[in-house]
Formats: sequence, structure tokens, C-alpha cells
Amino acid sequence: MSAAIAVRVARIRQLTPLVREFTFEPVHGRLPGFSPGSHVLVHMPDARRPLKNAYSLLGDPADCRQYRIAVRLAERSRGGSRYLHEKVAEGDELQLSPPANLFAPSKLARHHLLIAGGIGITPFMAYSADLQAQGASFELHYAFRAGLTDAYRDELRGQLGERLHGYDATQRQRLDVAALLRAQPLGTHVYVCGPQRLLDEVREQAAALGWPQSRVHWEAFATAEPGEPFVATLQRSGRQLQVSAEASLLETLEAHGVEVPSLCRGGVCGLCATPYVAGEVVHRDHFLSASEQATRLMPCVSRGRCGSALTLDL
Amino acid sequence: MSVEEAVAMYSKPAYPALPSLLGAGRRLLVIQNASLAEAARLHEQLSADGQPLELASLHGEAAWTGQQVSCGAFALLEVRLLILLSSAPVGTRLYICGDESFLWQVSRLARESGLLDEEIERVKVGSARELYCVHCATQQCIGTETTVICSGCGVHLMVREHFSRRLGAYMGVCLDAQRPHGEGRP
Repeated sequence: MSAAIAVRVARIRQLTPLVREFTFEPVHGRLPGFSPGSHVLVHMPDARRPLKNAYSLLGDPADCRQYRIAVRLAERSRGGSRYLHEKVAEGDELQLSPPANLFAPSKLARHHLLIAGGIGITPFMAYSADLQAQGASFELHYAFRAGLTDAYRDELRGQLGERLHGYDATQRQRLDVAALLRAQPLGTHVYVCGPQRLLDEVREQAAALGWPQSRVHWEAFATAEPGEPFVATLQRSGRQLQVSAEASLLETLEAHGVEVPSLCRGGVCGLCATPYVAGEVVHRDHFLSASEQATRLMPCVSRGRCGSALTLDL
Repeated sequence: MSVEEAVAMYSKPAYPALPSLLGAGRRLLVIQNASLAEAARLHEQLSADGQPLELASLHGEAAWTGQQVSCGAFALLEVRLLILLSSAPVGTRLYICGDESFLWQVSRLARESGLLDEEIERVKVGSARELYCVHCATQQCIGTETTVICSGCGVHLMVREHFSRRLGAYMGVCLDAQRPHGEGRP
């Protein structure tokens, strides 16, 4: 895996009471380039336990002097967003994993339909800059709560004009996904990022209207959720690891020096899939098929059940 | 499975006898010849559930096409298809019925209008197919033969079961390395 990048927090802006923007500059040399939809993992060694959370890069991909991310304070934070909101100050140094992209725009699309819910706007900041620079055909539909989860609304209105369509939940404005999808010309690709119910609605409506899956792109807020504590046994070494309710299995493995390659850390990319030989698993990924889940699990989000002896083929 | 199928190249397209009915949106049916029994059967299958269906045909007349008149020339069919596709929403499915040359000529137009391969179903009739000479880039229509003289450069070609979806053609390569310029030159 590529080495981590050392960055300094150059600027922090409070965009709304819930959303904070961080601008990072490289400690040495230059930052690697990235494509729209890319994310970085922010390493948080001083949180209650080591965490790596994925955040979309929201700057203009053509500008590599700095990276920007925006972090919404999670209601049920396992520590990541709370750490960034409360502990990190301007001038601090942090480590990032290099950018990776699981949500890139289609090169073949004739029209890009972008749908954001709340903090799901972040990847589309980079999309907007890039699509505008290319002169591509696109429109952005942004559902938010004014004053709380409407980060970048004014900035986007200035940049995009009529291409921005806002839906304010406090004004009872509703995004009619079915009507929007029904009117799209051939060659359109749809991209959605936001809460799970918005993703589900777009995917279900698109399928009902006959959109093939390859025209539908989505990015979940990729993150592990807490669960029951359990014990994981490593078959080859016989080691037994205690996984606490708050920690993910992947984080626990890493904390004990067991390196499992990972990319999204939210159950969507499939890179960390690990074979297991015994135990009852709570599968929470969006990647493995039911038959694959019988022998493999994704430790970034999936867990063993409390009291069931999970044995990994590691 | 026959021996031929067992050794088929990965790139060689497979054509189902009856296409699956994909999606719930608008349907376009493009046929090479309305007098083909396969075209009539496909039209019947597509009409059965009452979904909107638009038709374009190149040749032939048949009672089931109603008022629809064949375009007669491929250029006119192309114009009709482009008009239909320009107003079509995502969710539209294209069904093509004809020989393999026709299937991929129409597929190319559809892809240029923004349709994806997953949105196109093809019903193959007959054995006519396209051959692309890898030496001079000439494309010619052939049948089931496995060796052909290139109509462009005269090289004796072996027909490889290696299919290009972009060109809609099989690859023809020089059969006899001792005669790389064909019969035309000594």
C-alpha cells in the first residue's frame, strides 16, 4: 500500500453548526493529483482508538496545492467526526492515505445528473468544478435543511446558476426522484450521494424505470457502525483478539499489527474481504453476494455475533 | 454443447433465440425485413404486454406492421432511428432483428446516440456477417465460410472467430504466411 501523506491543517471553517471544512497543505513537496469523486482516509491516531475515516475531496481536481474536506458532526459518532470537530486545530499535522476513487464520473455520459442529500454534496463540489471546466452537460439537485446541512449552497448558486436545484426540508420542498429520472434523455448517468434512504430511493426508482445499473452510481456514507463486542480468532496463529462494541474488526486487526488491505472502509469496495471458517457473522457490506458471505466477510463494517467464536483464515 | 460452441472465442457474440424483455420503459424495434418470420414473432412478443412500441424497418411489407412503411434504404432507416432515439428517455430498450451485419450496423448508431449495450437486444437471422481485413481495413459481407479472398487487397484470409463489437465484424488474417501479398503480386 502507498505510504501516508503528511499534511498540515491550513484552515478550518465552520460552514454550518454541523459542518466543518478543513483545508490541508502538504508538509513536504506536492500533493498527489486526484479525480472527481475521490476520497482520502484521514488517520486519527489520538482519538480514543486509532481511526481512519474516509472523506471526499471537494476542491477543484485541477488544483493540487491543497486538499479540502467537509465533515458533518455525526449524531452517533464513533469518535471520528467528533475528533475532527473538537480536537483538530489549524497548524496541526495529520496523516492521510493517498486519494482513491470509487465514485468517478462516467467518461461516456452525455449528461450527468447529480443528486446530493446534506453532506453528500462533498464529492459533487469536485464534480461541479471538473464538469464545468470540461463544458460537460450536468445538473445538480441538492436536498438539505437550511442552516444545518446546506454547506456550499451560496457558493454553488453563484457557480452553477440554473443548473443548481435546491430542496429545503424546512420549507417542505421535496425532491421528486421519479419525475426527475423519468425525464432524462438517453446517455444520462445519475450519481447520488447522501443518506441511505435517498440512495435507496434513487436506485429503486431508476430500476423501476428501466435504467440499467451501469447508469446509476452511488456512494454511501462509508463508515462502520458500532455493534456487540466479540472475540475474533486468527486460525493460523491461534491469536484471540477482543473487538469492542465501538471498534470495527478491521481497526482491531490493524491495532494488533495484522495488515488487511483496505480502501473505502465502509463496506462497498470489497478490498478487505477476508475468508472465515467458523462463527456467526453480522454482514453489513454492500459488496459480497449472499453466497460469498457464507465464506467471506468485510471486516471494515461486518462483525462477529457476541458469544459466537468467529475464526478468520488469517 | 457442440464442439464448435465449446471452443468459441470469448468475443464471439451469443444471440438468444428469444430476447429477454428488459425494463418497463419505451421499446424500439428495428428490423431488416418485415417479411421475416422471426421479426413477426418478436413483434408479437413485444406487443403482448401493451407497453409502447415503435417500429422501424428497412425492407419488406407485412400485415402486422400496419401503416408502417419500410425505409427502403439504410440511410433513411438511420434518419428514422436517430429521430426516435433523440426523443427517447433513459429506460428505452432497442430490439434489433436481422442478419449479423445489420444487427451491428444498427447497434453502432444506437451506441452513438447514447444507448448502452445492456439496453440493446439482438435477434440474429440467417448467416450473413461482416469480415474486417486486418491488413487493409476493408470490410466485406460474408457467409459461413472460414477462408475468404479479401475484396480490398486480394490476400487469402482466414476468418477468425474473433469479433469486434466496435466494427461489428470478425477479424480476417492472412492465411498463408508464404503469400503475404495474396495472389495479386508474385
